[in-house]
Amino acid sequence: MTDGPKKFTYYPGCSSQGSATHLDQSLRAVAPALGLELEELDDWNCCGASVGHVEGGSLPNTALSGRNLAKAEQQGPQDIITGCAACYLNTHGTNEKIKKDVALRRTVNEALGAADMSYDADLQVRHACEVIVNDVGMDAIKERVTNPLEGLKVAGYVGCQTVRPFGNTDAGGKYDTYDDPEFLDNFAEACGAEAVAFDPKTACCGGSVSVMSPDKTLHLIKEILDAAKEADADVIATPCPLCQTNVEIYQDQINEKFGTDFQIPVMFYSQLMAVAFGMDGKKDAALNQNTIRSEKLEGMAKK
Amino acid sequence: MGAPLPETSARKYDLGFAKWVYDNVDGGDKMAMCMQCGVCSGSCPIGTQMDYGPRKLFMMIRAGMKEEVLSANTMWNCTSCYRCVVRCPRDVPVTYILQGLATHAVELGYASKRDTARFSKAFWWSAKTFGRTDEGLVTARYYFSEGLVAGIKKGLANLKIALSLIKTGRLHIGLPKKVKDRKGLQAILEKAQEIEARQNSGESA
Repeated sequence: MTDGPKKFTYYPGCSSQGSATHLDQSLRAVAPALGLELEELDDWNCCGASVGHVEGGSLPNTALSGRNLAKAEQQGPQDIITGCAACYLNTHGTNEKIKKDVALRRTVNEALGAADMSYDADLQVRHACEVIVNDVGMDAIKERVTNPLEGLKVAGYVGCQTVRPFGNTDAGGKYDTYDDPEFLDNFAEACGAEAVAFDPKTACCGGSVSVMSPDKTLHLIKEILDAAKEADADVIATPCPLCQTNVEIYQDQINEKFGTDFQIPVMFYSQLMAVAFGMDGKKDAALNQNTIRSEKLEGMAKK
Repeated sequence: MGAPLPETSARKYDLGFAKWVYDNVDGGDKMAMCMQCGVCSGSCPIGTQMDYGPRKLFMMIRAGMKEEVLSANTMWNCTSCYRCVVRCPRDVPVTYILQGLATHAVELGYASKRDTARFSKAFWWSAKTFGRTDEGLVTARYYFSEGLVAGIKKGLANLKIALSLIKTGRLHIGLPKKVKDRKGLQAILEKAQEIEARQNSGESA
């Protein structure tokens, strides 16, 4: 790391004001400790998530990211950072598409012109995990750990869109593989926890289909929980807002449907880091915002 | 996936359909590279619940089975996991093509009753009106998009979840969060819609 914090334009995304406030809160808490300065993107809007194109159409959906990119460009040349998988997928994907496709860039700029905005396509959009891997590094995480999570068994569940389809691309930071990424395990171990063997690292939680029609996807979430239980994990850790919510909130319905007895806490990696960095369990790690709480982790956290 | 193809006798073929998909669906031109290996369908977490997996759907597009393709549940069950995209040996952007087909299926009136179409309508309403997704409002609008009784039923089935999210401060209640410059955002989206309509009608920009 270089001297002084590295500045980013931070795009928190809509879930930061709803289902994933605990990701936003813990990420903002640990960022300075990791040497990252997060300056919130001014007046950011929704990225369109997985369904914006359906009703809105392709170009209007692209224009949503176009507006965020134009806003970020006004804010400065620093990279955009986001902790949300869907925000990353859409914003990064649109950005790279606009860079390559001059006709699309012209069209998006024509739409942005309706609000006197434009985008020159000279920014980078990065996922917080990729930044932590490539710019911060495991050693820097270890240096910050004052409260190692000794004895905590963590199942590292990456999910889909954090690494697919951009994880292993040049523009996506070349930081991990699609099917067996290691970074989450490395984060957990750097925090002093034990990363357990966990196969469905990039299995799908059903995404927005789980929000709409969980009857179609409860079995997918069950497979993730089965593997975590088999590995005797105390908690599942994930970077993705939708994975966190889906895998956490449907455990009762899964238990009812399949006769299981899951009660496994699903945490964000940044919550683990906040606890390991000796930060406040509530104010920084937001451990009180999990619907299934981890007594073990809360017992380790500073009160 | 394993579903048999529909009866041939009454089937209508639109031989221009593949060309139409190549030209009008984002990434559709790359579909020409599909060699029917089936890695996409085999990688799909929810392929068993699709009328046809992506491989078969692409073959049907080539065969001109427009009605069956646009009426299929395939694109509505896609979870956007992108496994097919990263695994395709021919770099066909499968997920993106399914997303494009979904958009066109809605436009052409094939899908208004689909869960995802109703959810997407609620989602876009929030994105366009407020500039942000209010998860609670979107979910409620989606629940009630099938009518009052269905809405109440769905709401009650998930009441426990809603209460746990309220208790943990993760279900935003009250006025929706909004962007400050809603007028500007809406002007951009309207202009984008106008451009897209112009492009679809064949006039070049």
